[in-house]
Amino acid sequence: MLNLDLPINEDKNYNEIKIIQIEPTIKINLRSKKREFSTKIGKTLSILPPTEANTSSGNGNFSLLWLGPDEWLLYSNNKNLTLEDQIKLEKNLFGDVSKLNQGAVTNVSDHWVLLNLKGNKIYDLLTKSCPFNFSDFMKKKGSVTQTIINHIDVILHNKNDNDLNLFVRRSFAEDLWLWINDSASFL
Amino acid sequence: MSSTLRINKNNFVDQTIRISFKFNGQKLFGFKGDTLASALLSNDIHLVGRSFKYHRPRGIMTCGSEEPNAIVQVGNDPSLTEPNVRATEIELYEGLEAFSQNCWPSVKFDIGGINNLLSPLLPAGFYYKTFMWPSSFWEKYEYFIRHSAGLGKAPTEPDKDLYDHQFAHCDVLVVGGGISGILAAKLSAEKGLNTILIDDKNFLGGSTIYQDNNCFKINDLNSNNWLSKEIESLKNYPNLILKKRTTLAAFHGYNYLLARENLTDHLTISEKKNKIRQRLWKIRAKKVILASGSIERPLIFNNNDRPGIILSSSIKKYIDYYGVKTGKNVSLFTNNDSAYETAASLVKSGVDVNTIIDIRENSESSVVKEVQRMGIKILWGHTIVDTFGYKRIKSFDVMKLSNDGGGVVGSKIKFNSNCLGVSGGWTPMVHLFTQSGGKLKFKTDDNIFIPDENKSPSEQISVGSCNGDFELDDIINNTVKYVKKFINLDKSNYDKVNIVCSKEISKKNIWLLPCDKPFSTTKPFLDFQNDSTAKDVKLALREGFKSIEHVKRYTTTGMGTDQGKLSNMHALGIIADTTGTNMGELGTTTFRPPYTPLTFGTIVGRNVGKFFDHTRRTAIHNWHVNNKAEFENVGQWKRPWYYPKNGETMYEAVQRESKAARESAGILDASTLGKIDIQGTDASEFLNRIYTNAWSKLAIGKCRYGLMLNEDGMVYDDGVTTRLGENHYLMTTTTGGAANVLSKLEDYLQTEWPDLDVYLTTVTDHYSTISVCGPNSKKIIQKIIPDLDLSDQNFPHMSYKNSIIKNVNCKIMRISFTGEQSYEINIQSNYAKDIWELCIEAGKEFNITPYGTETMHLLRAEKGFIITGQDTDGTLTPSDLQMDWIISKKKYDFIGKRSLYRSDTIREDRKQLVGLITEDPKVILEEGAQLVDDINKKPIEMLGHVTSSYFSPNLNKSIALAIVKSGKKMKGRKLIVPMESKNINVTVTDSVFYDKDNKRLNA
Repeated sequence: MLNLDLPINEDKNYNEIKIIQIEPTIKINLRSKKREFSTKIGKTLSILPPTEANTSSGNGNFSLLWLGPDEWLLYSNNKNLTLEDQIKLEKNLFGDVSKLNQGAVTNVSDHWVLLNLKGNKIYDLLTKSCPFNFSDFMKKKGSVTQTIINHIDVILHNKNDNDLNLFVRRSFAEDLWLWINDSASFL
Repeated sequence: MSSTLRINKNNFVDQTIRISFKFNGQKLFGFKGDTLASALLSNDIHLVGRSFKYHRPRGIMTCGSEEPNAIVQVGNDPSLTEPNVRATEIELYEGLEAFSQNCWPSVKFDIGGINNLLSPLLPAGFYYKTFMWPSSFWEKYEYFIRHSAGLGKAPTEPDKDLYDHQFAHCDVLVVGGGISGILAAKLSAEKGLNTILIDDKNFLGGSTIYQDNNCFKINDLNSNNWLSKEIESLKNYPNLILKKRTTLAAFHGYNYLLARENLTDHLTISEKKNKIRQRLWKIRAKKVILASGSIERPLIFNNNDRPGIILSSSIKKYIDYYGVKTGKNVSLFTNNDSAYETAASLVKSGVDVNTIIDIRENSESSVVKEVQRMGIKILWGHTIVDTFGYKRIKSFDVMKLSNDGGGVVGSKIKFNSNCLGVSGGWTPMVHLFTQSGGKLKFKTDDNIFIPDENKSPSEQISVGSCNGDFELDDIINNTVKYVKKFINLDKSNYDKVNIVCSKEISKKNIWLLPCDKPFSTTKPFLDFQNDSTAKDVKLALREGFKSIEHVKRYTTTGMGTDQGKLSNMHALGIIADTTGTNMGELGTTTFRPPYTPLTFGTIVGRNVGKFFDHTRRTAIHNWHVNNKAEFENVGQWKRPWYYPKNGETMYEAVQRESKAARESAGILDASTLGKIDIQGTDASEFLNRIYTNAWSKLAIGKCRYGLMLNEDGMVYDDGVTTRLGENHYLMTTTTGGAANVLSKLEDYLQTEWPDLDVYLTTVTDHYSTISVCGPNSKKIIQKIIPDLDLSDQNFPHMSYKNSIIKNVNCKIMRISFTGEQSYEINIQSNYAKDIWELCIEAGKEFNITPYGTETMHLLRAEKGFIITGQDTDGTLTPSDLQMDWIISKKKYDFIGKRSLYRSDTIREDRKQLVGLITEDPKVILEEGAQLVDDINKKPIEMLGHVTSSYFSPNLNKSIALAIVKSGKKMKGRKLIVPMESKNINVTVTDSVFYDKDNKRLNA
């Protein structure tokens, strides 16, 4: 088995903010405009892709984030899933969707790095460099937004009060991590 | 500290906390709550600087951001010193050190003061005139002009202070914490709207908060007491954020505003440590209420710039707010009632008011009557014609105005005063309104420009004196009326407020007051910072400058750090009077952000040092670092450039790396290439439309190189795309073009071809790409993946196989950018470093050599492969690149096809890609060097330029690619590359230098 090499190898605690990397996590990009797509996803994952913009659906195992009218990001909530689980899930979904021309299934597990931010000051931290208006987002559990933090593209998923998941492209992860730690130290 | 200048009656300055500071090296004391200006005045210091051009002694003139004279250098740390800081805005802190600017050796004795004597030789535009005649003298003038240019000293070391940014969103942003801003914020908060109120001071209430005068009452309380209670009540609104010490810097379109918050400037040096100094707020507001107030105007008369001449309202603030007397014997000169409020305050504080000179014939307002009851002498219908005192005003002469106000009559009366308050009326602060795109209208009665409500951008209003309301009752009633309408509020607690105030009835304005002396011998200053006088404006008009924008630049009126807050209106008035034009028709100069100067630190925030730009790292980055790679920035990526060994130069390292790649094996981290997963039943058709060549017949498991064009037919990007399945492709793009290509393709799918069943997903970061090349590459790959049949029959060039390396799926492409047999391993990034190390280990016996971008560029140049963006520049078609073979003649259409057949794109004399060989094989051409045919032809004709150039160790000679006019017909032609020290002879050749038959790809 090859060794896993993750871009970030530490957790950080600041004044009312805790930041951890949640990796490896299975992440699969789903795209479709077909009506049958939802049914197939529902059968495989037991959750339906949300149709309302900037929302999510999920269960104990997976979350499905709305990224666009025909695009969703699926990610696993279960940290115990293995690389074999990832390969199996991708294969199943690809077989049910891509191979049957119902849309596109693309493994993006290593494209994104998942960070979790918890604490009373996480929005004070994000708004230091994020132009997004969080007033509605922070009130609604399950909200999703695609925005920028310090000019870096990110996907944000509101897990709970002052508890959010942040997806950043792997190549930018270390850069954003440095910025987060720098800014958090001034809160 | 002179005890006689500090009175002990107010609550705004804490006289129990004494603060020591230094000014020009002299240790002085002030109190907590003082500004540097109020502390200096309390120490009887008026002379604080010298003017820019004439080096005339100048004193504190105002108490706010409009200050033109009291601009000082703060601190002497080479990294923290700050020039041009307004003494009127610096809050006093323990250990503050400030210095006068623009003077040497001292502010009291300044050698530059000689300029004042030379002033007849330095009229408006003298600087421009030095260019013109005698032209040969410019180099003589230049030395002196350059040395006298600029105000203050810039720090010489990097700024150690910390700055940051913060975004904020609100329903209503109220700008200005005076009485109208406070009312607006409270009404907004009462309605439940998320409201932010910002003010540049450390206290709220504007000038009303210290207006303790029985002539101004609200609900039977003196206006200051009433307002204090209102400010106190603001704490009850959790939806209202108060931001003090916060200046609005810019008001951009669609209610996007920038504000600078001062967080530590008022703290002691030890308290400031490791704290954010200033924060730039980036505010998106649904609605904006501007309550930015107004500033008092000076009066323009002869020698109106002496230290001790202060705006009347500022004298009032210094006495009422700071408890500081600006002089022991004060006189006032006015054209309106405001100065009488100052007189009343001074008398109440025990200051002698010598006399009031008023250019009006009379005034019947209550505040004037109150002053008359106090027994102060008033000279109606008079004007000051001159002032005396070099470093501080001592006396002034007064004469009666003629009936038409255009001259003076009678005899002079001399008054002795060491402080003269001047009041020329009020100017609404409309800068922010105009920054946002609003248009102004001229109100003739008050000689002011105010926001034109019919030409205002939506979702904003102006209230209070910035909207032209100057009387207390008008300010309150109109603010409440406008704000209620603006935020749809039916009722408010202010609907029936009982207001008593003095009403100004008598008005008179003379922009340039007359004098008994010839105009040419007077110095009536308009712009105190830049030493621009009324004479300069008139001279500019005589010399043909008519537009206010031209006059401004010619005379430099309004071009100082104060941006002409005090001078602009008078300049306009004098132009209007001189040219017989209506001021409304003249318009104003353009008000640009920032409203007051911003530090560079605030603009940049934390994006300094390692945060200056982003760094993208590949999954193998740390290996490259550990193996001493030198890095090259490619877009935002850090790519290994070359791997120097034992002190090698880049040239030496590249020669070694490229020889190893050709002779045995090389390995490259190619992870930065853009990668797009393409799926859908129309994927092949989609590729047909975006690439110039045909894709429908590409077999599954095969790869193909494609060129992507812009709509204009010019090469946009290139890369290899692999068919993974019937409806599934993996496209690669250039490193720098990845994001733009994905956006362009998605744009086409969403807007031009929504009928196509195609889905794109970027996987650039998901897959890392490791390229192993060279004659021994096959053996190395075989060692890592023993089960994979790598034979040329099973796995030929331009094909791909799925494989598994130690349980991890990977895609192996046999493609080459070097001309050597090459394999690219695409693997999930979290496992890439391990695979890379496996390749290195497996390749040890073959001397596998990691190589960087420089060697990659050399190897591909030997093969004549282009790099989009280096050998192309957005002006070259595939045909120009001698790649006609890649343009499908059979396809109905593809992006850019039509443009390929325009008359211009089929011209034979277009610039085309060629190869170059130098006559001396050791001479390496410089990239960007020009190519010419006839060096003696005048003007010399440039035929093209070198795009890529290297010394090839494999060919043992210099090679280059170039684009040359009619290049296709040039093969064999001798051309010249003219360089600074020599001309280099070159021969045009084919662009492929190495292995023209592609034998090595299958070796």
